Amino acid sequence: MLYRRLYQFFIIYFLGLASLMAIKYGLQLSDYVIPGPSEIAQTGLRVSGRYLLNVLNTLAVAILGHILAIVLATVIGIIGRLTAWISSFIRVAAYNIQAYPIVAVAPIIFILLGDGLSSRLLIAAMICYFPLLLSFIGIFSEPVPEIEHFFEATRRMNWQLQIKIRAFENIRKLITVVVGSATLAMVGTIVAEFIAADAGIGYSIRIALYQSDLAKILVALFLIGICTSLYLVLLEWIGYRIRRRWEIPEGGLK
Amino acid sequence: MKTRAFIKTVELCFAVVVFFFLNAGAFAGSPPAQEVTYRLKWLLNISVVGDLWADVNGNFARRGLKVTIKPGGPERDAIKELELGRSQFGVASADQVIRAASKGAHVVVLAQLFQVNPLQWIYRPDRTPVKTPQDLKGKTIGITYGGNDEAIMRALLAKYHIRENEVKLYSVRYDYTPFYQGKVDLWPLYRNAQAPIIGEKLRKAGERVAFLNPFRLGIQFVANSVVASKKMLEQHPRTVKRFMEALLEAWGEALDPANKQKAIDVVLKYNRETAVEIVRRQLPATRSLMLPTADFRFGKIDVAAWKQTEQIMLAQKMIAKPVHVETLLKPVVQ
Repeated sequence: MLYRRLYQFFIIYFLGLASLMAIKYGLQLSDYVIPGPSEIAQTGLRVSGRYLLNVLNTLAVAILGHILAIVLATVIGIIGRLTAWISSFIRVAAYNIQAYPIVAVAPIIFILLGDGLSSRLLIAAMICYFPLLLSFIGIFSEPVPEIEHFFEATRRMNWQLQIKIRAFENIRKLITVVVGSATLAMVGTIVAEFIAADAGIGYSIRIALYQSDLAKILVALFLIGICTSLYLVLLEWIGYRIRRRWEIPEGGLK
Repeated sequence: MKTRAFIKTVELCFAVVVFFFLNAGAFAGSPPAQEVTYRLKWLLNISVVGDLWADVNGNFARRGLKVTIKPGGPERDAIKELELGRSQFGVASADQVIRAASKGAHVVVLAQLFQVNPLQWIYRPDRTPVKTPQDLKGKTIGITYGGNDEAIMRALLAKYHIRENEVKLYSVRYDYTPFYQGKVDLWPLYRNAQAPIIGEKLRKAGERVAFLNPFRLGIQFVANSVVASKKMLEQHPRTVKRFMEALLEAWGEALDPANKQKAIDVVLKYNRETAVEIVRRQLPATRSLMLPTADFRFGKIDVAAWKQTEQIMLAQKMIAKPVHVETLLKPVVQ
């Protein structure tokens, strides 16, 4: 899985790079507009060590933010299933808050929390939290009558059991949502760093933009792609392990 | 029959010829206005008052040009647009020009808008007096890493032999909270556009403000200039000349104290977000940075300042090798 994910990323990245080079040489653009391959390679050699540390810094914050968002979405999702009114209220709040562009909200967050780790963490969590929340509310509010009926009839049903049944029945959906939101966590962290932080790859990209240095940005994108792919593979592997443990094999129980 | 047909044909030809001659003057007399695009460096504010003036008061139209003025922004780069053919003229800072030239872009500078770089540092003289550059020691100074202000501040520190570990550099962003809170002693801002707003806020809070002007301390780092591609200048010299004549004329009119109210109205027409009192303060601040003396010729290119800018960039390794910036300076209109 890891090998395939990485080589697929390499294909996408190098196709993108080849398109840029085709535009550069086709339109005879200078290295100021699109840097040449040698400049990109030299920049890569020069900054990749530093940028890798920055990407890992960003990834660490993204993972923390992602975990925070999953925990929050689970808790709110469970509360949201209590009544249809609460569920609807949370959905409306989520849709509205998600509609606010993060660039407009970020300055308020930075005024309240400063430009340290907490702001980056909060923005990362905010960006991936709402898609998670909406999916979790949907899944936890959706009854599984054929199973729940038995426990209700035998008066053994409680809310923990209900959540377990619904999560168990929708485990594939839950894993897909969690894996999908991981990229949002990474994007959220980079956006937070880009707007107003003094660490991470988003901050490095901002500086490179000030310097009109596209070569640095291309190197940063390459490293972000690799690290995000690795994180996604890790999540998929965890999901696979969970599914193997929870799901009934296709041939049935022996 | 044949003779009649022949006569009719001759009459028709004659009518066509007469019609052509009668209307030839009209066709030749109103050539369609030449369309060009002019990409600014920043949003539509006081720093582009002359550009907007030219649009509103017909300076471009009088020279047969139809100019589309496009606002700039942090993610816009006029030089890249020139190369991509999306704009024919643009506004870029000197560091952008020098960086582009060092990477093979063929760009020329047609006029220099700011004679004094508007990028300065605001501070509270009562709390953190800065009477000489040596007073910067021990202070927390805001800079935008990768931005012009970083290059200027580093040049200033180097000139006065202040080591980096003798000051604390603070990475700044859009909001001024760290400066308001007193966490940062000196904060970079644009003297003409932002200082009237920030200064006013602090004055209302009962605080005195002052500005550290690197220009007065011998650091000349050129700011915005009008640029075009070398190809444009070589292939369309008359268009470039007409454009520059119109632009310099418009700037001269906009900065003329006699046209103060009209200039303010022009800015407010495009920028409704800024209060009229602020624009009223911004205008003289802009004038003093663009016309340092009463008899100054607007748009003059300060070759020495450009050379110093290149030297600063070389010293700070912002460019790998000299670009001989003086060869890029082409003031087509004196």
